[in-house]
Amino acid sequence: MRLIIQRLTQQRVNSLGTPLALSVGLLLAGCAGDKSILDPAGQAARDVVMIWWVMLGFGTVVLVLVTAFWLYTFKRKEVIRTPAEERTIARRWIIGGGIVLPVASITALLAFGVPTGQRLLPLPLAEPPEVIEVIGHQWWWEVRYPGAEGGEVVTSNQLIMPAGEPIDFHVTGADVIHAFWVPRLGGKIDMIPGRVNKIRLEADEPAVFGAQCAEFCGAQHAQMQLYVEAVERDEYDAWLAARQTEALSSLAANDQQHETAREAFMTHCASCHRVAGLSSGEEGPDLSDLGSRTSLGAGIMAMEEGAVTHWLKHHQRLKPGNKMPPHDDIETATLESLGAWLETLTP
Amino acid sequence: MTTINREATPEGDNIKGPNQLHNDLHDIWGNPRGLKALTIVNHTTLGLRFMVTGMVFFLIGGLLAMLVRTQLALPDQDFMSPDIYSQVTTMHGTVMMFLFAIPMLEGLAIYMIPKMIGARDLVCPRLTSLGYWCYLFGGIILSFSLVLEMAPDSGWFMYTPLSSSEYSPGLGSDFWLLGITFVEISALSAGVELVVSILRTRTQGMALHKMPLFAWYILAMALMIVVGFPPLILGSILLELERAVGMPFFEVAGGGDPILWQHLFWLFGHPEVYIIFLPAAGIVSTLIPVFAGRPIVGYGWVVFAITVTGFISFGLWVHHMFTVGIPQLAQAFFSAASMLVAVPTAIQVFVWLATLWLGKPKMKLPMLWIVGFLIIFVCGGLTGVMLALVPFNWQVHDTHFVVAHMHYVLVGGMFFPLIAGLYYWLPLFSGRMPSETLGKWGFWLTFSGFNGTFLIMHWTGLLGMPRRVYSYETGMGWDIFNLLSSMSSFIMSAGIAMVLLDFALHFRFGKPAKHNPWNADTLEWANSMPPSAYNFVSLPKIETRHPLWDDPDLPRTMAEGQHSLAVATHGRREMWGTDPLTGKVREIIHLPGNSWWPLFAAMALAVVCVSLLTRLYPLAGIAVVVAGLFLLRWSWENGAHPKAAPDAEVAPGDPPLHSRTMDGPGLWAMSITLLANGSFFLSYLFGWFYLWTVSPEWRMPETSPLSLVGLILAGVALTAGVVILEKLVRGLRQGKDAGLAVGMYSISALGFVQVAVTLWVLLSADLAVTETSHDAIIMVGLAYALLHGGLGAVLTLLQGLRVGYGYVGAHAPFEPAVVAQWWRYNLVTFWILVGALAVLPRVIGS
Amino acid sequence: MSITMQRLNLTHPLHFVIGLTLWCIWFVAVYGGHAVACSVAPPAPEQGIFTLVNAMLLVVSIAAIALLAALTVGCCRMAKRHEGRLRFNATVSAGLYLFSTLGVVFAAMPIMGIPPCL
Repeated sequence: MRLIIQRLTQQRVNSLGTPLALSVGLLLAGCAGDKSILDPAGQAARDVVMIWWVMLGFGTVVLVLVTAFWLYTFKRKEVIRTPAEERTIARRWIIGGGIVLPVASITALLAFGVPTGQRLLPLPLAEPPEVIEVIGHQWWWEVRYPGAEGGEVVTSNQLIMPAGEPIDFHVTGADVIHAFWVPRLGGKIDMIPGRVNKIRLEADEPAVFGAQCAEFCGAQHAQMQLYVEAVERDEYDAWLAARQTEALSSLAANDQQHETAREAFMTHCASCHRVAGLSSGEEGPDLSDLGSRTSLGAGIMAMEEGAVTHWLKHHQRLKPGNKMPPHDDIETATLESLGAWLETLTP
Repeated sequence: MTTINREATPEGDNIKGPNQLHNDLHDIWGNPRGLKALTIVNHTTLGLRFMVTGMVFFLIGGLLAMLVRTQLALPDQDFMSPDIYSQVTTMHGTVMMFLFAIPMLEGLAIYMIPKMIGARDLVCPRLTSLGYWCYLFGGIILSFSLVLEMAPDSGWFMYTPLSSSEYSPGLGSDFWLLGITFVEISALSAGVELVVSILRTRTQGMALHKMPLFAWYILAMALMIVVGFPPLILGSILLELERAVGMPFFEVAGGGDPILWQHLFWLFGHPEVYIIFLPAAGIVSTLIPVFAGRPIVGYGWVVFAITVTGFISFGLWVHHMFTVGIPQLAQAFFSAASMLVAVPTAIQVFVWLATLWLGKPKMKLPMLWIVGFLIIFVCGGLTGVMLALVPFNWQVHDTHFVVAHMHYVLVGGMFFPLIAGLYYWLPLFSGRMPSETLGKWGFWLTFSGFNGTFLIMHWTGLLGMPRRVYSYETGMGWDIFNLLSSMSSFIMSAGIAMVLLDFALHFRFGKPAKHNPWNADTLEWANSMPPSAYNFVSLPKIETRHPLWDDPDLPRTMAEGQHSLAVATHGRREMWGTDPLTGKVREIIHLPGNSWWPLFAAMALAVVCVSLLTRLYPLAGIAVVVAGLFLLRWSWENGAHPKAAPDAEVAPGDPPLHSRTMDGPGLWAMSITLLANGSFFLSYLFGWFYLWTVSPEWRMPETSPLSLVGLILAGVALTAGVVILEKLVRGLRQGKDAGLAVGMYSISALGFVQVAVTLWVLLSADLAVTETSHDAIIMVGLAYALLHGGLGAVLTLLQGLRVGYGYVGAHAPFEPAVVAQWWRYNLVTFWILVGALAVLPRVIGS
Repeated sequence: MSITMQRLNLTHPLHFVIGLTLWCIWFVAVYGGHAVACSVAPPAPEQGIFTLVNAMLLVVSIAAIALLAALTVGCCRMAKRHEGRLRFNATVSAGLYLFSTLGVVFAAMPIMGIPPCL
């Protein structure tokens, strides 16, 4: 039942979505942005924004009225009253403003708020939703798809999800506490070592979203970005299929011209990084489909030609304190060949 | 109501004029100069020292804030490196919270409370001094880490595992944990003595319902400090033990849980917001009636609101943790409780409004700051209610929206009333008036700069900017708002600079103030301006809530010595000890004079702190013992000791000296201290049961490693000690002290037996404290029992010695009653520990 | 009943804190009991709100409400019988008991609407 309702609302949004979003976007130019809570792209986030605008309106009225009454008391002429009259007036203010006003407000708020919160709960559904695991590391994201057909798929610093269906995110932290948050889809949840937290999110339609670690996790907390993209279901399935270990292995092995780069990789990188079919290191991000990603270093720079080499040479300057050791001991030519090869890993 | 009134003009030859009286009192109370100024225990001097030191730390914290805003003014700035930025933000929060807000308000309360309730000093003057030195030394140690570029960098709430030794290997976290714990000694000591002073030293006739509202607010704040700080002290001790020794309280692999730290931190952290807000609201409730020219309407409502706030604020801590994955039903409890706190706050806002409405308010400089407070604080309160709503919280938690909300609440709810209060009381501090022009400029710059900085920051947060990022990329729509915030923040600092300049200049250039310049109603304005060290020549009997409005002549008659206790020939520092409810006089409290011991003890504690930081553990051990010896030496100068009150003679008709009774204020001080101790103990029990039930990888052995027989044996020794002690105290109550010394020695022996047997249980348990959190937390519990048992034994031993010296006995029976409280507390907590650590695991099993 | 109320000495300012202390104890009991129940025997999510956990929490809450409400009424009666200081104490205590009662009602409402352990 819930699913049907969700589908229905979402269809309405789909048909109206683009023009509406455009006009509203123009209207509130200040609200847009990859990470803007005010530009929701999923039902959970939309509910919260609705509540926010209502609360803002109500709060503004309260603030303006209270301030106005206060200031008015300095201007008005003195009225002589009997003590009994004074008591009545005082009681009216205190009970009306001090008790009725807040009690009515918080009751209304709770009545709206609790049902909204339940939408984010991983309640059992008739059709169990897809599960995506996200693991926070200092300072990058590991993303796993345990339900992929043909075996688990692993990637890093990018999260591809199907649009138009609820997804259960199971999140945890590998070292310190991080927080998983895609602002345009809905609330955040902490990624705590030793625990798995669950949150249910849904994207209305295919789009790209910004995401960023939301719990302070050390010096490079600011540079822990996650690229999130919602795609159509069939595109998603194809994306997953292309990242099956078998498919990736052929990708890594096929190419003869990068033989030296592969050897260098096995010497210098393999103990920490996984490339499907070649290595299984787990300290650093999985690199099996590095070439197909949009950015490097968890959002530090855009992926373009030569970007990987640049990163390999200067990563400690680009992202000071990151856990990859500096590569001063490796020859430039080797780094360049490594960079060139890694960029070819595009399934 | 019977009154005991001692007029200042007894018959005979010692009729004295006001000047002579002043000189006599000054001889006893006056402050020494030069090096001896370090021994001063007087609340006026120490209150000012607290406030001036607080202002210095405020400037440091403000400078750090300017660095942060400079870094964030433009995208992709590298004005500061990421790790320096983390240190700066962490220290900004830490300094402002722990080294400015709380000590500053404590300082104001320390200065103001005795003057408002008609007393001559706080009830434990040496404790005031110890508190100040601990604050100063702790603050210096903590700030010094900035100079070393070794400052804590895990955020001011120090979440584990980020702050643990694995992810913060430097000394930063240690500076925080040790420095803050050191500073908290000061908060706790101020908390204890403020409670006791307010309850037991109000002037004659000042019943609870006639107390100035400010005293109610401070009473609530002090009690909240007493109950609220111990959880953080426990958390800090556990985390420092984890870092230094490797006891895995918060480490999942060892059976600990990082969320336990968050619970302990916020169990303190949320009440702390109200600890800061309540005294500030007290300033508002004091000023508004004065400037409205009428009594506050709804005194009872305000007392109601204060009490509710004090309690409810302990039921909100989880709203800082809505995103850690707690079941939604539990979140809903905290969400509802968080919203409930809006009710008492709204009541106060409307009480103030009704008072203004029914009065004739005048917009003087302090009132300007009060109006600024109202606008900012109401706004912060409204966003606070929004944040209590779980789904909204999930979105804006840890974004700049929260940063904005928090500054609205803290700057609006604390800084603005504080400045209002300082402007209001400046004439009292100095006898001079501030400059209205400079003050108005200061206000408008601060007010507009503040709103420019933080109103915009709400929006930045809604656009998705997380807090504590050292940099952001362009294209998110954040650039312009950050730039505006940064620019406004510099306007705000210009405003604050102007206010501070006004304060500084007025001491020299301010117009001399006339007496009671604002026509206020409370007793502090009966002081001379600036006040004398003893506050009042004579202590009046109070009939109303507004003594100076109802008897404008009161300051004069008090200064002429026409009221009570206007005698100084005995050489004692004296004031009334009154009944906490009715304000009837019960005894004369004699206060200790200036002393080196607080300074020495604080210095020894500073050595402990620094040697723990530098991991010189043997030195730390020695320094702990030395500090303990200093404190015990301090306690030696009590009762009938030559430096206290060897001669117990009082004027005919006067009540006895407190040390000659069985219920002096020291009993209250011990009770309140034990309340703090009990809060610490409950936090410990919470930690034990929390890890047991919730920790993901908790490991518990099949059978408890603790010998039940041994623990019961120790408990029996402790129980026997308490039984004997109770008997001795009963005897003293009837005036009998036969066998007192022998009794004390044997109780002490029983105490040492308890300690020895408990130690044996601990050693024979063979705990692997670095392996499992189970063993580690048991170790902490037993160490707690050992420490308390040991101290109990030493205290009774000293009592035995004091009986021999004649300082304690039927003539001065007070101290054993105080020590008995400590033993009773030991008895209860020891048996609870035995039940929780040794019996329950055997019954329930792992 | 009235004898018990007399023994409680409802005009003493200690009652300023008793009501809210009871509120705190109720709060800790409900929060702690809920946490323990969820870690020891979490009911199946399919059961919704009709679980033993919800029922127990509700029973505890109703007991707390009854106790606090009785004390509110007691203080109100005392306030009418006295003047001055004692009246002040009883009135403020009555208000605080009332607030505690409503505080329990308000914070307990979610028990009737949210499944326990999700």
